[in-house]
Amino acid sequence: MKPRQRFKLGKVLAHVCLISIVVLVLIPFLMVTIASLRKGQFPPSALWLNPDQLSLEHWKFVLGIPYRELVNAATGETRMIQASPSPLLWLWNSIVVSSCSSLGIILLSGSAAYAFARMPFKFRGSVLRGLLILQMFPAVLSLVAYYVLLDYIGEHFRFIGLNTISGLVAIYLAGISVNIWMIKGYFDTVPASMEESARIDGASRFQTFVRILLPISAPIFAVVFILSFIYTMSEYPVASVVLQTSDTWTLAVGANSFLYEQEKLWGRFSALAVLAGVPITVIFLLCQKFLVSGMTSGGVKE
Amino acid sequence: MRHVLVALVTLAALYLDFIAYESGGTWIALALLVLIGCGTYIYLSPRAEAYRYLFPGLVGFGLFVIFPLLYTVFVSLTRYSSGHLLTYERALSLFSQETFVSGNGSYNYQLLRQSDGSFLLLLQANQNPSQRFLSEPLELKPGPAATSTPPARLREIAEGGTPPGQPLELAQITREKLYLNLRDRQFRLPDGTLVGLEGLQKFASRQQLWRLNPDGSLTNLRDGSVVRPDLKQGYFVDQKGKRVGVGFRTFAGLENYIQIMADPRIQGPFFRIFVWTLLFSALSVFGGFALGMFLAVLLNWKELRFRNIYRTLLILPYAVPAVLSILIFKGLYNQEFGAVNEFLRALHLFAPDWETNPWGARAMILLVNLWLGYPYMMLVCTGMLQSVPSTIYEASALDGSNPVNDFFNLTLPLVFRPLVPMLIASFAFNFNNFTLVYLLTAGGPRMMGGGIAGETDLLVTYTFNLAFRDSGTNYGLASAIATLLFCIVGTLAWMNLRLGASKIQL
Repeated sequence: MKPRQRFKLGKVLAHVCLISIVVLVLIPFLMVTIASLRKGQFPPSALWLNPDQLSLEHWKFVLGIPYRELVNAATGETRMIQASPSPLLWLWNSIVVSSCSSLGIILLSGSAAYAFARMPFKFRGSVLRGLLILQMFPAVLSLVAYYVLLDYIGEHFRFIGLNTISGLVAIYLAGISVNIWMIKGYFDTVPASMEESARIDGASRFQTFVRILLPISAPIFAVVFILSFIYTMSEYPVASVVLQTSDTWTLAVGANSFLYEQEKLWGRFSALAVLAGVPITVIFLLCQKFLVSGMTSGGVKE
Repeated sequence: MRHVLVALVTLAALYLDFIAYESGGTWIALALLVLIGCGTYIYLSPRAEAYRYLFPGLVGFGLFVIFPLLYTVFVSLTRYSSGHLLTYERALSLFSQETFVSGNGSYNYQLLRQSDGSFLLLLQANQNPSQRFLSEPLELKPGPAATSTPPARLREIAEGGTPPGQPLELAQITREKLYLNLRDRQFRLPDGTLVGLEGLQKFASRQQLWRLNPDGSLTNLRDGSVVRPDLKQGYFVDQKGKRVGVGFRTFAGLENYIQIMADPRIQGPFFRIFVWTLLFSALSVFGGFALGMFLAVLLNWKELRFRNIYRTLLILPYAVPAVLSILIFKGLYNQEFGAVNEFLRALHLFAPDWETNPWGARAMILLVNLWLGYPYMMLVCTGMLQSVPSTIYEASALDGSNPVNDFFNLTLPLVFRPLVPMLIASFAFNFNNFTLVYLLTAGGPRMMGGGIAGETDLLVTYTFNLAFRDSGTNYGLASAIATLLFCIVGTLAWMNLRLGASKIQL
């Protein structure tokens, strides 16, 4: 009987442990949701809401719907408020930036990884290692150089200069080396024999790459896409320097703009955080299985 | 097929190149031309086949990773700060714009407002009232002129006729602050004389103050003094060694690096921040790994129910964009109104000063980073644990071992070594974890006597502040620290590759 009791006790302990951690994880999310529905600009701190505190003003603001706000309680004076530009635009910008850069990253790093995995050429190892080491230079500290570079390019090609979304995407596209390593790691696990027999049957290299290797490697591309998407969605410093006017801002820059030092608009921030956080979180959770297998097979593998 | 594609892309690129050349970008056009040449060769020559797959990626990498790196190393060797912002050429051109009142030409003026909002300037010579000059339409915005423009030409007009537009009273010119803008401009009469606003009432003829001599020195035409550029100081100095005008960027050699090592105002904060950066990265990796591994082991327990629900909920912090969660925590840890302290006070526990006490702020950063960082570790550890064969546990269970012993004696030694590269990568990531510190504390609270340095600054945020904070920007010094930072993290990455070298077949 004794080992059985110990077994049961262990189970209970495990559940208690897990539940308390889950609660700690969930509380901040609950608080933000409540702060977004609460009248006035309060930082997320309450776990419950009295019905008289309930207000949809922050959600209206974030969704770009005009609403009346009481300016002076004594005189009953109100004013119309409408966000300009609507924070939805920032979400849209973020989605455009993240999709374009993740797609571009897949194309660039996938084709480069193919060369590294399947083709012999001079300095292959050194280039591969060099890419990883050079990428360690933190992007934040390249900001001065990014600024100079985009300013210069923008003088001649307006569409890719400072304060353009394409300029930001161009910078993000350069972050390929870690992804090259991940994809190459996956390619290495795919036996080359199939491609070789296709080559004997007369297929060109490019054909074997596109028709044989790419379809097999779909999972790793999904992983790289999602990881890049999350990274670019959250990236703040580079975006805040490149994008200068509020109509080009991404979500990260826009969300931070609600929290100035002098006036912290917690309600609006919370509504935006919920609005933007929920879809990304759902996508991530849906792709969870993919991600776990991809991260463990590509990056760290014995 | 391939040839047609290459030809089309090359043509499009050449067209872009032409546009760039047309708009005056000789260098950018040249660089693009070289790229087009390389690209065409690579995509046509059978010998360069491997590079066909590498070319686009490597071009982007070169432009946005290698160029910024080289640029930063270059800037770290120059004196480039708030006192030395301009290039030598720009500083020189500022001198050439300086003028002084000379001669006795004096003119009354009138501003004429046009229907489209622009203005005409009308000058009338005091000595000879029949001589009048008129400008082209001017865009005068209230307030000082944003940029210095070259002198605009005035043309002489015939006697008698009145130019179009409504003349402004002096009061209107001052009230709308148009004189501020007008004061920053200069005009050139048909005979070549420069004129500028003198006081509020009149224009006077002016003359360039400095004359550039062939040896690079400048002569002051009013008092005859001579200043010459001192490339070492980055200033123009007169005969007595006194600085004149603005400083310019200049080559400084290793000065910035020596400053980090020797100047007590920089060296003190630098080393404290360096130690905290190391501590922060080590503790973050250790904490995240410990918690992540613990949860992974728990969730690997087959008999436990609801394992999938737990796992999904526990991954949440990784799924939510980090920028949002960091800002949420900024609210939760607010010293007076934050939820954390309200909760602690409700329990009659000690409520730390998360914002003003250095150790409180550090603890907050570490706690938040633990929350953000453990899910990734948990995911990786879960993957690792699944590769451990379950037979070894059965064998040890026969020997009467318990789960805790099993973990430390069997599981950890098995999975730890393959995890080392991931731990080092995580260390390097946290070493440069800019977003967390910048958004959560912005480096605060300020370090006593440390100038711009804060108690929770990491090297990367400290460098960012040095380069971009409004007062006392010092790009040179910031670039020097950035270069050092890169050396540290680059070494870590290199070590990581060496450790993992056995399993990478190249």
